[in-house]
Amino acid sequence: MSLTARNSSSLVIDRLCNQTREEGLAVAWLYCDYQAHQEQTVINIMGAIAKQLVGKGGIPKDIREAFQEAKELGGRRPLLPDLMRILRIAIAKLPQVFICIDALDECLPKDLPKPLESLRDIVRESPRTRIFLTGRPHVREAIHRYFTKAVGTPISSNEDDIRNYVVMRLDRDDVPEAMDNSLRAEILRIIPEKISNMYVDISPLSTMYTY
Amino acid sequence: MRWLSPLEPGDRHHTLRTNRFEGIGDWLLETSEFREWRGGEGGADQAVLFCSGDPGVGKTHLK
Repeated sequence: MSLTARNSSSLVIDRLCNQTREEGLAVAWLYCDYQAHQEQTVINIMGAIAKQLVGKGGIPKDIREAFQEAKELGGRRPLLPDLMRILRIAIAKLPQVFICIDALDECLPKDLPKPLESLRDIVRESPRTRIFLTGRPHVREAIHRYFTKAVGTPISSNEDDIRNYVVMRLDRDDVPEAMDNSLRAEILRIIPEKISNMYVDISPLSTMYTY
Repeated sequence: MRWLSPLEPGDRHHTLRTNRFEGIGDWLLETSEFREWRGGEGGADQAVLFCSGDPGVGKTHLK
């Protein structure tokens, strides 16, 4: 995932979280990680979403009961239908829910369909639910299979992003005496231009697509 | 709550937030795609916003 894409997910989550109090919305998220394939099962993914949503406004009685029952059965973990039931209960109690899943491409391809199918079922039942997904372009097809009208937008580091990043790194330079104004100006002119040109060849920055 | 999932998304978000580069990617929040999705007027049809990012200008390359 590019720097900007990952930054964007955390920005979107923060923007939504800042609005939770005034608008009564709830936000749940997950950052996928290629190093955590074994843990990123559909059960753990949907469980992580449920975990963040059930906590809002107290744990509902039926979820407490399900937990109690599982505890009595030797700590049995919930299965997907249990989690979907918990999610349905939690979402129904909230005015609007936002679910953000970052870096879907960092899930194994075989693990992708089930979470997407579960998200689709949630949206079918609660059409106000909003889902924010990020990933490399190749996961688009998998998303499209479950959400035919999903809106896509390419995220990449534009010249301003790169310039801001370079300014920040120059400001934190640990050998500032080696820098002078003309060198600094030259770096700030050349690097953003070179990098963004390089990137444009791969993915046009200005095109937005709907599939 | 660990009963529901061993994954801890809050920890990861905190790390990313702490190390976030200010001013990078903010423009996404101002795009019409984001605003329309956020507005939530479209019902189930407009439930999903997918942001695709190629590898390339990645963190590893810029560090």
